[in-house]
Amino acid sequence: MNQKNSTLLEKILQGDRRAMAKAITLLESTNSESFEKGQELLDSLLPHTGKALRIGITGVPGVGKSTFIEAFGLFLIKLKHRVAVLAVDPSSPVTGGSIMGDKTRMNELSQHPNSFIRPSPSSGVLGGVARKTRETVLICEAAGYDIVFVETVGVGQSETLVDSMVDLFMLLMLPNAGDELQGIKKGVLELADLIVVNKSDGLQEPLAISTQSEYRKAMQLLSSSKKSWDPQILRCSALEKVGMQIIWEAVKNFQDALQNSGEWAQQRRSQSAKWMWALVEEGLLKNFRKNENIKKIIPEMEESVSSGEMLPSNAARRLLEKWASSKKTCTSKK
Amino acid sequence: MPESKYIFSLKEWEKKASSELGGNPSSSANWKTLEDIAIKMLYTSEDLEKLSYSETLPGLSPFIRGPHATMYSGRKWTIRQYAGFSTAKESNKFYRENLAAGQKGLSVAFDLATHRGYDSDHQRVLGDVGKAGVAIDSVEDMKILFDQIPLDQMSVSMTMNGAVLPILASYIVTAEEQGVKQEQLSGTIQNDILKEFMVRNTYIYPPSPSIRIAGDIIEYVSTYMPRYNSVSISGYHLQEAGATAVQELAFSLGNGLEYVRTAINRGMEIDSFAPRLSFFFGIGMNFFMEIAKLRAARFLWNKLIQEFNPKKVESSMLRTHCQTSGWSLTEQDPYNNIVRTTIEALAAVLGGTQSLHTNAFDEALGLPTETSARIARNTQLILQEEAGIPNVIDPFGGSYFMESLSESLIQESAKLLEKVEKLGGMTKAVESGMPKQQIEASAARRQAMIDQGQEVIVGINKYKAENAEPVEVRDIDNTAVREAQIKMLKKIRKNRDQQKVDSFLNALTNAADTGVGNLLGLSINAIRARATVGEVSLALEKVWGRYNAPVQSISGVYAGAFPDQKKISEVRNEIKNFAKKVGRRPRIMVAKMGQDGHDRGAKVIATAFADMGFDVDIAPLFQTPEEVVRQSIENDVHVIGISSLAAGHKTLIEELMKVLRQENSEDIAVVAGGVIPPKDYDFLKSLGVCCIFGPGTAIPDAAREVLMSLKVTH
Ligand code: B12
Ligand SMILES: Nc1nc2c(ncn2[C@@H]2O[C@H](COP(=O)(O)OP(=O)(O)O)[C@@H](O)[C@H]2O)c(=O)[nH]1
Ligand SMILES: [Mg+2]
Repeated sequence: MNQKNSTLLEKILQGDRRAMAKAITLLESTNSESFEKGQELLDSLLPHTGKALRIGITGVPGVGKSTFIEAFGLFLIKLKHRVAVLAVDPSSPVTGGSIMGDKTRMNELSQHPNSFIRPSPSSGVLGGVARKTRETVLICEAAGYDIVFVETVGVGQSETLVDSMVDLFMLLMLPNAGDELQGIKKGVLELADLIVVNKSDGLQEPLAISTQSEYRKAMQLLSSSKKSWDPQILRCSALEKVGMQIIWEAVKNFQDALQNSGEWAQQRRSQSAKWMWALVEEGLLKNFRKNENIKKIIPEMEESVSSGEMLPSNAARRLLEKWASSKKTCTSKK
Repeated sequence: MPESKYIFSLKEWEKKASSELGGNPSSSANWKTLEDIAIKMLYTSEDLEKLSYSETLPGLSPFIRGPHATMYSGRKWTIRQYAGFSTAKESNKFYRENLAAGQKGLSVAFDLATHRGYDSDHQRVLGDVGKAGVAIDSVEDMKILFDQIPLDQMSVSMTMNGAVLPILASYIVTAEEQGVKQEQLSGTIQNDILKEFMVRNTYIYPPSPSIRIAGDIIEYVSTYMPRYNSVSISGYHLQEAGATAVQELAFSLGNGLEYVRTAINRGMEIDSFAPRLSFFFGIGMNFFMEIAKLRAARFLWNKLIQEFNPKKVESSMLRTHCQTSGWSLTEQDPYNNIVRTTIEALAAVLGGTQSLHTNAFDEALGLPTETSARIARNTQLILQEEAGIPNVIDPFGGSYFMESLSESLIQESAKLLEKVEKLGGMTKAVESGMPKQQIEASAARRQAMIDQGQEVIVGINKYKAENAEPVEVRDIDNTAVREAQIKMLKKIRKNRDQQKVDSFLNALTNAADTGVGNLLGLSINAIRARATVGEVSLALEKVWGRYNAPVQSISGVYAGAFPDQKKISEVRNEIKNFAKKVGRRPRIMVAKMGQDGHDRGAKVIATAFADMGFDVDIAPLFQTPEEVVRQSIENDVHVIGISSLAAGHKTLIEELMKVLRQENSEDIAVVAGGVIPPKDYDFLKSLGVCCIFGPGTAIPDAAREVLMSLKVTH
């Protein structure tokens, strides 16, 4: 390991904010040199990771995710925890950059000495976001943060990806009973370990209560994603910071239940395996697209498939054959 | 009726017009305004047939032609110049000189520390004291402010919303100690808190307790101060933040409705307070539109108030103050601004305003100097006394075009207001963020039109002057003002009966907590006992907390408004190349420091930079330099972009650079923009600021320059 990386490592272990920030940038980098450095750093950090409680938070834009993390995060800091927040924004257009204002809703938390908040720009690729976030979690753990939140907007497949990197998956909902589960897909509901109806305050409180019981009924019809835990439906007001204690107790019960049954460790193991395979897929695809022989015929294949001249299955086979044969020539050249 | 011996055939005209247009129909020359209203080249009596109202008269419902029967023939509009800076003593001197030179009413501009309920010795207001208005910490300052100005004779308008309780209380106690009773006071308190959450940003508490304060004031004033306006419902700030005329009308009228409902819900009679609600509109460069806007506003308000069954005509009669648009004024070639302001002032007068502020030509550089203030005032005196303008009421009345345009505005604004009502009224709409987002989108669209020369601004994107001579700029030594204020604060705190002060402050805290008691009445007690503005504010903050409005953002609007994408694709490519080389897109933290709440520029920059390919972090408002640095380090940005408009730049950027050094983070570049007088550029550059962008900057150019400075540092 080079000089620069080893001091970076030391500083991260000491919880140095700037070092953490720089390390995360390495992980996010598309520059291969920086990227390699990041991976090398991760390797050496690994023994210091894994100790945090990882919580995924999702829900439609505006449901109050950031506001909730502000309230819950400050609550946890009072209990002497150190809280890291990774905010992922998969929603920005491909042409432009991202515009990130999450911290403005976590004003007090973002100034607290025991918090670290890093909003990440969209990379245009959904999988890309997930990968970096997973690695960023490790940086936060190595720096001594024992609770890590991953906030992501509930659109598309991002929540399944987040689910594959957290211990507990929390879904925030609006008090809108009867609103057909607000367009949240059934699959997402099934992933949720905790469903929290937010904005249970003021005039909306009665509605929040009825929404809560509605969801309780609806959840009985869905199968749970965990063997040792049945999803719970709770209520809170992130704005007025009410309900945090109950949610924290549920989180602890969840942790106890899964740890006692062994499902906790099992989930982490299978997440690691999944992660390995995701990386393999990503790497293969990247190599595949970079391959000179493949690059040459991609436009042609795409064209023939979209014009209907060739069946997609045939085109795929031709591409894969080309790939296999070019691999052989490569190795024989060596 | 005389028989017309002339041809009146629109068909004939259309034929002729079309041939003059090279065969295109006359409608091909229609002009789509920002409001999306199509302006035809010709209006005729046929257009009058489509109106929803027919003949009307001034002073009579629906007041389209003016609230008073005699308008300026009876009494001219009040020349009311908004001013305030430095200490109360300095401002008092300025006021008295202006009054001697022909100004008729006073309008007080407070500094941002005061607006946000901080005493001058608070650590969050280092760069703000006395800078963008006058510093008032207590009734002692207020007494100096009105020294030798008899408050029973002078009508005084005060722009105060956040710290409205201690300020209005100080004014009332000042009068009292001058020997003037509160029922004799005439003037206006702005007290329009909803638009603070939308655009003006000098709120202190969350929305619902803030509305309670507004309600308490309306109630107190209607009981004890019959000549005083309890709210000035403001469209002006909406326009200056970017709102179109339709948005300005719909949202301000919507806010007005909300105050009316608040009062009605407290069991007040509509006629007991509605006559004391006044309005405030902005007047920009779209000449006819602005005249039509004032006419439409009066029509709509009259209609809206009928729902509450008023008995007095005054209840539904909209009276307004106007201010010419500061946004329309340029830093470049600043004498052009005198011409712009004249055109705008004329529109306000032709629209029938009751009082008017005209801006000074150095608007985009700093607070007015003696000279620029004189010319601004004279602009109105000339309109009043030299051109024969006030003699005829509503001279545009009956104009085919003007009546038609007024009708379009009435229709369009009513539609938008309907949307607001569907959301449950303005308070709910504000909570949803809809109005602010719409206004910001208008601002971004307009910026794009200017940046590509579709909207012409002389001296900015066309007919640029080669070497316009620099003008003198007023500079205020905020450190000296702050020291003077702190001295005064110390004296007051030493000489007062502390026990008495504490008990009055506790009473306030209690009233906030229980919801019982009139907060203005209680504030008057505390202020009379020499509690300070900051202490009164804090007594309430203890219960309600300090509010941070969520920052929203829009994307795609700026870039989408470029029909010629080539102009931005160049910048996009440069950014892509940077990203390829560095491994990620350039990342910028757009931040505002101190109590400066001007966020139009920061928001436009943020959204436009993101559209062009920057990753943009937006910081919350009101940051200290330390807070900005921490966020910038944590997010690992390449550059911090400070937007500064309220003159705190020297103090705050110096501090920012110091903190960056302490944190070993000088690798983060710093750029700045906003109202920064050119004479301060050297100082900022000597601190290490890479580039500075003043008003009128085209954003693609700024983006490229920021990128260049990163190439050097990275
Ligand atoms: C609009 C405006 C308002 C609006 C603000 C609405 C809003 N939400 O932003 C309203 C009406 C609410 C308002 C209120 C006040 N205002 Co005002 N306002 C203006 C005005 C007329 C225009 C500013 C503007 O938005 N321009 C349009 C934007 C797009 O331009 P910009 O911000 O300059 O940004 C451009 C460049 O500067 C640059 N840029 C700016 N920032 C950055 C950052 C980066 C990173 C980059 C790359 C570039 C960049 O690029 C932008 C694009 O070209 C100016 C005068 C003027 N003409 O500049 C006065 C002005 C700023 N206001 C002033 C004052 C005093 C006030 C008040 C404090 C008055 C009072 N005492 O109550 C209040 C309080 C406001 C507050 N909370 O802070 C003074 C400040 C005096 C001084 N500096 O010495 C000014 C200069 C007017 C004057 N001469 O008196 N105001
Ligand atoms: N009434 C109420 N409003 C809330 C609550 N939580 C969040 N909000 C508001 O909902 C809006 C969106 O919140 P935000 O946290 O940004 O949502 P996110 O997009 O899910 O992260 C903001 O205006 C918040 O103030 C709550 O508990 N009650
Ligand atoms: Mg969020």
